[in-house]
Amino acid sequence: MKNTMRTMIGTRLLPLLLLAVFGLSSCASLPPAPADTRIVIFHSNDVHGKIDNYAKVAAIIAAERKSGVEVFYFCAGDNFTGNPVIDQYVPPGEPMLELLNRLGLDLLCPGNHEFDFGLENLKKFAARARFPFVCANIQAGDLLPLLRPSVVLKTGSGIRIAVFGLIQIEAGNGLPSTHPDKVKGLVFSEPLAKAREYKMLRAGNHVLIGLTHLGYEDDLRLARQMPELDLIIGAHSHTRVDPAETVNGVLVAQAGSDNKFLGRVELLVRGGRVVEKKGGLIELNGPMAEDAEVKDMIARFNRNPAFAKIIVTAPLAIAGKEALGSLMTDAMCHVHGLDIAFQNGGGIRLNRLPQQITIKDIYTLDPFGNQVVEIAMTPAEIRGLIKNSFEKGGNIDLQVSGISYVVRTDAARQIKEISLSAADGAPLDENRQFKVGISSYVTSAYDFAHHDPGRSLQSTTAEALIRYLQSGVDLNVYRDVRRAFWEKITDQPRP
Amino acid sequence: MQIKMNDQTIEIFSGACVKDVLRKYSRAEWRLVKNDRKAVFDRHGHQVALDGELSGGEEFFIKSIELAKPQP
Repeated sequence: MKNTMRTMIGTRLLPLLLLAVFGLSSCASLPPAPADTRIVIFHSNDVHGKIDNYAKVAAIIAAERKSGVEVFYFCAGDNFTGNPVIDQYVPPGEPMLELLNRLGLDLLCPGNHEFDFGLENLKKFAARARFPFVCANIQAGDLLPLLRPSVVLKTGSGIRIAVFGLIQIEAGNGLPSTHPDKVKGLVFSEPLAKAREYKMLRAGNHVLIGLTHLGYEDDLRLARQMPELDLIIGAHSHTRVDPAETVNGVLVAQAGSDNKFLGRVELLVRGGRVVEKKGGLIELNGPMAEDAEVKDMIARFNRNPAFAKIIVTAPLAIAGKEALGSLMTDAMCHVHGLDIAFQNGGGIRLNRLPQQITIKDIYTLDPFGNQVVEIAMTPAEIRGLIKNSFEKGGNIDLQVSGISYVVRTDAARQIKEISLSAADGAPLDENRQFKVGISSYVTSAYDFAHHDPGRSLQSTTAEALIRYLQSGVDLNVYRDVRRAFWEKITDQPRP
Repeated sequence: MQIKMNDQTIEIFSGACVKDVLRKYSRAEWRLVKNDRKAVFDRHGHQVALDGELSGGEEFFIKSIELAKPQP
């Protein structure tokens, strides 16, 4: 239970709000503030399903509330994606909702990964949340009716705290960093430009806060352009800002990631304005008091029954790197509409999948959380990738879908030729560019030239495999499959 | 997008994380960071996590954990 009598005023209709604010600034003064009010705002960001430290967070917040100061708890986004046990829950992300409700979260600014399970899921999540979603640069209409551009929180002592939210967008497509299909129908605007519209909130409120999912660099830009702000609580770049920095008079805070830290900001409001502010991080990875009830919830969520659910019963136990790699790369091609996909041998962590394949089996086979990266590549560039992969260990490394290939070497394993064939056996068109899917690990750890830098498809290789198996594909093809070959050629003596 | 790691410009796919840039910069440094012997810091001196998301033009530095600690 929160120990303050707080009310919240949503500002869904900005024009009306601005009218109201102009009215306040020109005709009315702020309600008189009590002499001194100390406000503590705890904040988390980029938790990514790492729930284990929430029992400590709950205990810390409860202890602070007992001390008599005004306490709030904000989240700057990205609660989903990063822990398969939580992400595979039914419905997806359910543990985050229940835990944030239990912790008494006051506000959430959605991050790009809040959209990873789709709008319908997020809409249901928001409908059951006991905290508002706040973000000013999303026009959602009926798609997310509970989203507000800004809110005003009121403390029991009458202090008005205005908070607006902002989410990052990518320079290329103007969308947050999630799969574009997940945000279809939503309109996003440039966050720093949008922020300027909210300067007016300064006039009618004692405290003005930006709760952002922009990354630290953009938080600094926001602070430089908007000294009207008292505080920015940020996210996205997973930056450990300890202590919080003061830039242009604005306190800028961010609490790392993965629930390793809890941010704590303290504001002193005197005479209707913030006169003192400081922030820092509380490290959570050590022994400390835990809330027993929250600890029980976490234990229950970690026993996710969906993880043991059988996705498919295969006609055979798919075994060996060739078969498993072919399965994994076929999944990437099928799910993401790619021409060709590659999977490195080191990323195949099982020798055999059982006939009854569970979600847990998939994450044991492919545990690294690598993203699928799409790169437009020519056959010459594909040969460069295969060459580098072969030279790493002097053997076939990359399993493949969409083509087959032969690496021909001399006896000393020096590559003499790499030939590529389409699925029907015909040689590849050397003048064509192919949509190639590679894991983020191979993309960054292998040394190969490619003109197109590529783009993350914001989905993991394991997720592609789960979706592929759920699609009812015929798994008999993986009984005896081989698409990557190594041949030693010897120089024949001339007659 | 282009990211700077220890003053070297790295061309990396959009949607990449700090760890992707680090691996492309140096496999050896990547292993040291993974084993907590080094860490990645932004140009303001703040440590960033390996899963930290990136925007083009950002700049990072790899430092040993001991050197990065504030001096008494």
